[in-house]
Amino acid sequence: MRASAGRVSRPLRSLLVVWLLALGGCAGGQPESEVVTLVFKYARILGRADPLPALLRSFEAAHPGVRVKGEALPWTSDDQHQFYVINLEGRSPGFDVMMLDCIWVPEFARAGWLTDLTTHLRPDELAPHFPSAVAAATYGGRVWALPWIMNVGLLYYRADLLAKHGLRPPETYEELVDQVRRIRLAERDPALDGYLWQGKQYEGLVVNVLEALWANGARLLAEDGSVFPEPARAADALRFLRGLIETGVSPAWTTAADEELSRRAFGDGHAIFLRNWPYAMELFETADSAVRGKVAVVSLPGRARGERGVGSTGGAHLGVSRRSRHPELAVALARHLASEPAQRAIALGAALSPTRQALYHDPELVRANPEMPRLHAFALAGRPRPVTPYYLLISSTVQPEFSAALVGVKPPERAIADARARLSYFLGAIR
Amino acid sequence: MLLLAPTVLALAALTVYPGVWVLWLSLQHRIPIFDVSRFAGLDNYAFLAGDPRFLNAGRATAIFTVASVALEVVLGLTAALAIHAQRGGRRLALSFLLLAWAMPAVVTAKLFEWLYHPTAGLINVALGARSLNWLGDPGLALPAVVLADVWRTMPFVAILCYARLLAIPAELYEAAQVDGAGRLATLTRITLPMLGRILLVAVLFRTLDALRAFDIMFVLTGGGPAGMTETLTVYAYRALFQTLQLGFGSALSVVVFLLVMAVAWAYLKLLRAGTTVAA
Amino acid sequence: MRRPARRIGTLGDVVVLGALAAYAIPFFWQLLTSFKPEAELLRVPPLLPSRLTLEHYRVVIEQSLMPQALGNSLGVATLTTLLALVIGLPGAYAVARLPLPGKRLLLLAIVASTAFPQIATVSPLYLLMRALELRDTWAGLVLVHTSFALPLTIWLLAGFIREVPIETEEAAAVDGAGLLGIFRWVVIPLLAPGLASTALLAFLFSWNEFLFAYTFTVSGASRTVPVALALFPGVFEVPWGDIAAASMLASVPPVLIVIVLQRFLVRGLVAGAVKE
Repeated sequence: MRASAGRVSRPLRSLLVVWLLALGGCAGGQPESEVVTLVFKYARILGRADPLPALLRSFEAAHPGVRVKGEALPWTSDDQHQFYVINLEGRSPGFDVMMLDCIWVPEFARAGWLTDLTTHLRPDELAPHFPSAVAAATYGGRVWALPWIMNVGLLYYRADLLAKHGLRPPETYEELVDQVRRIRLAERDPALDGYLWQGKQYEGLVVNVLEALWANGARLLAEDGSVFPEPARAADALRFLRGLIETGVSPAWTTAADEELSRRAFGDGHAIFLRNWPYAMELFETADSAVRGKVAVVSLPGRARGERGVGSTGGAHLGVSRRSRHPELAVALARHLASEPAQRAIALGAALSPTRQALYHDPELVRANPEMPRLHAFALAGRPRPVTPYYLLISSTVQPEFSAALVGVKPPERAIADARARLSYFLGAIR
Repeated sequence: MLLLAPTVLALAALTVYPGVWVLWLSLQHRIPIFDVSRFAGLDNYAFLAGDPRFLNAGRATAIFTVASVALEVVLGLTAALAIHAQRGGRRLALSFLLLAWAMPAVVTAKLFEWLYHPTAGLINVALGARSLNWLGDPGLALPAVVLADVWRTMPFVAILCYARLLAIPAELYEAAQVDGAGRLATLTRITLPMLGRILLVAVLFRTLDALRAFDIMFVLTGGGPAGMTETLTVYAYRALFQTLQLGFGSALSVVVFLLVMAVAWAYLKLLRAGTTVAA
Repeated sequence: MRRPARRIGTLGDVVVLGALAAYAIPFFWQLLTSFKPEAELLRVPPLLPSRLTLEHYRVVIEQSLMPQALGNSLGVATLTTLLALVIGLPGAYAVARLPLPGKRLLLLAIVASTAFPQIATVSPLYLLMRALELRDTWAGLVLVHTSFALPLTIWLLAGFIREVPIETEEAAAVDGAGLLGIFRWVVIPLLAPGLASTALLAFLFSWNEFLFAYTFTVSGASRTVPVALALFPGVFEVPWGDIAAASMLASVPPVLIVIVLQRFLVRGLVAGAVKE
């Protein structure tokens, strides 16, 4: 009997030692000090160089005794939202300044999670930013966040291919489809796809579908709060998107495509058109890019008998948690990060577009990216997603329905009808 | 009695009490973000009865459970017989199997997400020109998730069967040999009947696990595309925490709970019936 | 040892081993990926990298939450295991040995709790954690993990205790040992292998658990390995190499257990299934 117990102990004991050592290693407490620590939640930024650490250090240099800890968020907008919702509800979330997708600001403001910044700001302080970004930061006449990064949907196209076949960038989707057919017929390259966009079931899909709805004269939310006020046109827009996949204009994997998957395929030279955000522009011009010098941008197409094309705006805002223990410092940090020098550094280092309009004509930035002035015009013309506290509730409800219509498991009309039925139940519970 | 007190206390506080609370929550409209908190009666359940997304999730759960458990049993049994027939290297063989089982399901999901990568995934590279859109195609996504789950949990079935095989007395086989039974006859007349009970137990454990599966599809597909891989648990979690609809989400949780309990009860009946027949 | 498959021979052994090694390819492919240079990740074929790099591990260790998460997981899983054993051992002994009123019902409740879906209690537990301010703490996570590890622990230990011949306890009792003495000097030493198996399974359960950890952790203060891996950060870009490195780190303890303590693991697994 003792022998069996002894046999147990040997491998166990050696593992026990390793494990105790490891446990001791991680239990070593941090030194206590008088330093104030601010926690900044943000999504890791990629690009030539992540400018954020330097910006955080410069804030620390200007505020002795303050330490800023940057903590990374999950990488999709939906996961980030879920993270915030789970953790902001209730007390002591443990972070001070938060990077927010602009669509969340009204929701978070209504929920009471954000500090009202109105009194902290000078009256004209937000004037240099895009009006749509300021509108997205405002709820109930108060300002709840600072505009930080601007986004707008764009159509990227292979200027070399279009020129080769004597084509001008398309103004309508019908033209785009036609150009895809002609170019692919002439190129005889089976690996060349036509039009890439984001059809995976996530927030990006809602953006893409909204752009299609708007081009077709349909809306997601009317002023009076009703959903899909033009159901037939909405269904028609969905059917058109589904048609792109069915006819092979867009590859079958569009239904799994997010920004990066589609950006990479286009960047490898495998497609003629791409819908994406401005961040991709710089990535196509890197030294090892297969499409360097061959890509141009234009605003998104419209529909032949519909509205003019318009890209959805998006972007990130900076909010201050209402539970922050150092609200004054946290507001100062948010202002520091949204300041002109900081936005310039981010635009230079990470190719993310600023919300301050003057920067689009700034000589240094225009030298780095000659498309900046045009980008300004696109962003000004862009259309925001519905600004409502219930945006995420609406978006998360329509996502699976849109996805079902795109992959073809549900007729577009039924997808719209189902989405309306669900939304009327959920929104009914709130009102 | 004193010995049991901590157990009873812990289970009462962390299992029974929340179990009752969730029932109460499911009868409310409860959305803390928007300060909604009022009694809803059976509204949430009534809505679920006509909710296409709920029916779809039920379908996905059923297919996932049946397909993965069936595959696990067949493959697990085969693996167990193969290892049992080995003369050397059994420990190593078991290690390969256990490796897949012991890792977190999230790791499995990440492993397969990389294997299923549309252009750089090992599976599509192997398929060459016939490469498939594993996680984006509504017809393939659920099989892809089932495959990942089978990979991770088949070893559990294999190990149970293997252990039972070791316990079959050698005399039985010797007797069969004396009787001149062939390999196939030995398998169907001795080995499989001896494994019957353990297989039933394995199926019970795996079915209960599969019915509440969450990690693998949540990380691998998030329930997409088009909700084809959205099981009841994933749907419930989304409702609960994507927008904090605690009332509606709790109603879904209760449904999952009842489903699991019903299946567990049915199996236990079956097991008990099996025992009395054997005795 | 006579077996019907005796004639298959060494060739058969090699084939089976090869097949099982192939079974583990997803793991080894990820292992290889974690050492591949970034530029070669999406360029396949060739399958094998031109050189091996530790860059992904460096990024994961220096720039991600993974090191803290490993510490958290180690701590939470260890405490969960200890708590489940401390509460569960007396409970298991009572269930296995002592005549109790309503024992059948209690056993049924324990079995039922092992089948309890986590989703069923996550919403009330979320409200509970919030009210007690236990979100983002080790304590909160250890408590909810224990609530699920405990029934498993009792179930397994009760089985192992029944295997200990009751005569040894009776002999000790005759020698004048109290219940505590019997426990300390007779039951525990004989139970050691069973305790080890049970502890391993409880540890693995807690290490691998995702749903609760995802819901109740916020930051590096308590975020566990599976959650850190699932939420591995990046904007637009999927850092496949870094994710591969992180998932390898997440698998270290399970892999160690499989290799070093395989016997106990198998014993625990089997014991859980064959009781009654």
